[in-house]
Amino acid sequence: MWNRKSKWNLLLFAAIVLLLISSIFFLWMKTNIEVRSVVEEQYQNQQLLLTRHIAGTIEQTLNERVSLLEVIAKTDSGVPEDNFKSDIKSVYDIAGLFYVVEYVAENGTIVSGYPEEYVPLGLNLHENDVSYAFEHVNDTGDVYITDPLKLMEGNYGSFIWVPVYEGDIFRGAFIAIIKESDLKDRYVVESNSSSYAYLIDERGRILYEGNQNYERGALYVDIFGSNVSGLQEIIAEQINGSEGNGKYFLLENETIYEEKLVSYSPINWYNQKWSLALTSPSSEVDRLIVSVYLKLFIVAAVSALFIVFVSSFVVIILFNWSKSLEKEVGEKTQELKESNESLRAANTKLKELDRLKTEFLSIVSHELKTPLTAMRTSSEFLRESDECSIPVRRQMLDIIIRNIDRQSRMVDDLLDVSRIESNRMKYHKEHVNVVEAVHTSLEMLSTVLKEKNMNVLVEIPDSLPSVYTDRDKLVQVFINLLNNAVKFSKKNGTVRVSAQEDDDFIEISVSDNGIGMSGEEFEKVFDKFYQIDSTSTRKVGGSGLGLSIVKGIIEGQGGTISVTSEQDKGSTFVFTLKKSMDEIDG
Amino acid sequence: MQAENIGGKILSLMEENPGITVKMISEKLSITVNQVEKVLDSMSDTRQKILIVDDEMDALVSLKVALEAEGYNVVEAKDGHEVVDKVYSELPDVILLDLMIPGIDGFEVCRLLKSDEMYRHIPIIMLTARNEVDDKVEGIELGADDYVTKPFNLKELKARIKMILRRQDI
Repeated sequence: MWNRKSKWNLLLFAAIVLLLISSIFFLWMKTNIEVRSVVEEQYQNQQLLLTRHIAGTIEQTLNERVSLLEVIAKTDSGVPEDNFKSDIKSVYDIAGLFYVVEYVAENGTIVSGYPEEYVPLGLNLHENDVSYAFEHVNDTGDVYITDPLKLMEGNYGSFIWVPVYEGDIFRGAFIAIIKESDLKDRYVVESNSSSYAYLIDERGRILYEGNQNYERGALYVDIFGSNVSGLQEIIAEQINGSEGNGKYFLLENETIYEEKLVSYSPINWYNQKWSLALTSPSSEVDRLIVSVYLKLFIVAAVSALFIVFVSSFVVIILFNWSKSLEKEVGEKTQELKESNESLRAANTKLKELDRLKTEFLSIVSHELKTPLTAMRTSSEFLRESDECSIPVRRQMLDIIIRNIDRQSRMVDDLLDVSRIESNRMKYHKEHVNVVEAVHTSLEMLSTVLKEKNMNVLVEIPDSLPSVYTDRDKLVQVFINLLNNAVKFSKKNGTVRVSAQEDDDFIEISVSDNGIGMSGEEFEKVFDKFYQIDSTSTRKVGGSGLGLSIVKGIIEGQGGTISVTSEQDKGSTFVFTLKKSMDEIDG
Repeated sequence: MQAENIGGKILSLMEENPGITVKMISEKLSITVNQVEKVLDSMSDTRQKILIVDDEMDALVSLKVALEAEGYNVVEAKDGHEVVDKVYSELPDVILLDLMIPGIDGFEVCRLLKSDEMYRHIPIIMLTARNEVDDKVEGIELGADDYVTKPFNLKELKARIKMILRRQDI
């Protein structure tokens, strides 16, 4: 489970992930801005090139038209007969842009022109008080181009005054009119683009404006009133005759709502200094790079997703890792607990073993010293009292002999126990007839049996196979068990010995109808020096090691031994020994 | 207890009726003449009385024979309960107490007797095959008068008994 600490860790992790994602989006924005500025620059340059191109074309067209007039104005042969009528016609035809071309004689009267229907022949400029331009070209000798003026037909057009000289003599002037509308038709191309063009003169007045909603002679900046910022600087640059790029902002309620990119280029047409500008909203740039934006966004989003994915993956891995760590720690703790437990158990067992050893030694020493006490007392007494009676002497000597026997039996038993416990007991295995072994044992116990007048039943079938065991040890087992049975039987009791085949084993049981034992007692009956009550063995004169030795001998040969007993009804010891598998061996 | 009571009753009968015969006593107390005589015998025995407590018959018999030859009146007991009975009935002059006896064990018997106003004066010599210092200390602390480990030197034991009895006489 997430505890407090790992919750904090998770939060920290989430913060790092957020930081990564936001840095990606920051970089995305940054890139957008950079890309945009690059694209904007490129766009503006492109726009500038276009502007320059258009302006150049217009300038060239206009200048060429004027040049045509200038060519015919430089006459060496004087004013021709037809007052340049044929020349004007050819110029008009070649130029294809003029509305009308007229010739004004040096006295100020229009004397010829083409097409004739537009020419006010015979009109004298001086008389009509429109001779300013005429006088001007006469004075300067240079071409003079007027601002667009209202024509008699209602249109506007620029008047081009070209002085005519014969040598150095002023011979009048050509007037050519280029209608504004013609020029527009020629250069204004309807397009769907959001580009927008305007043309201003050197005073900033509008000559042409894309939306066509201006008053003649108005200043361009006045169209927007106060809803514009940065335009005036651009206009100033234009009036200066410079070429370049600029930006202005359209405002609405003091806030920018549109940014305009402007490129401007001058048109120098003799005395007329115009400036052409192309504008487009900067959203156009965005439109161009919107796909770049989109792709960059996709990259950023994919990166963010990737980070989220990887980090969740890492979180899951860490989570599982911590879970498995926790589990492992739990298991290890459990193992430690268990090993502690088993160590404690082992310790307890060792302590118990130690206690048992001490107890065993104490019992052994007691058991060895007890007969010695009797022997010592008796023998010392005999040495001290020379004149004691024969029966007393005999009694004492009997005590000594009895205790010597008891001592040697005890030593033998202890040696057997020691051999059994250290697995040094040697078994000289041979094929032993069980019945023979039983009879040998009974013979050796005959005195004891007679004493208690025991009834012994041997119920062993003749067909019983022999057992493969150590003959002497088997006899010892029988002696111990029978002796035990007799000891715990009352007088005239019955001891039964029976045997039967059980697979590879022979199962032999020795039972009595004596005093028996309780469940608690017969669990311990095979323990060394176990005494059902501490006197019982002594009353019956055993070492307390017999059954322990029997168990050792049987189990040392791969057999088993068990006991069942009921209080006051008797006990039954059952043991198994391997039977002889191959009779030939015997 | 029975024996002690009988002894007391016989004594009080004899005090009340000087010249009372054994037969009359046996009739009065409805016990056999033999028993009366036995009680009277033991009461008139002036030898010092030693109670030997041991569950090992051979050790007990040999020591009994040896001490009887020394002129002591030896009484025997084989377990803890018997010890207490014998002390009450025989009032021994000294007790040779084996510690490893069935019933009530030696230490417990010692504690029992030493806490009884009537019998705490009886000296106790502990006999044991165990040779541990702790056992000796416990025995002495419980009020045992001496502690002898088996197998003991008979001469030494006799000397100790003599010494303790002499101390008792003073």
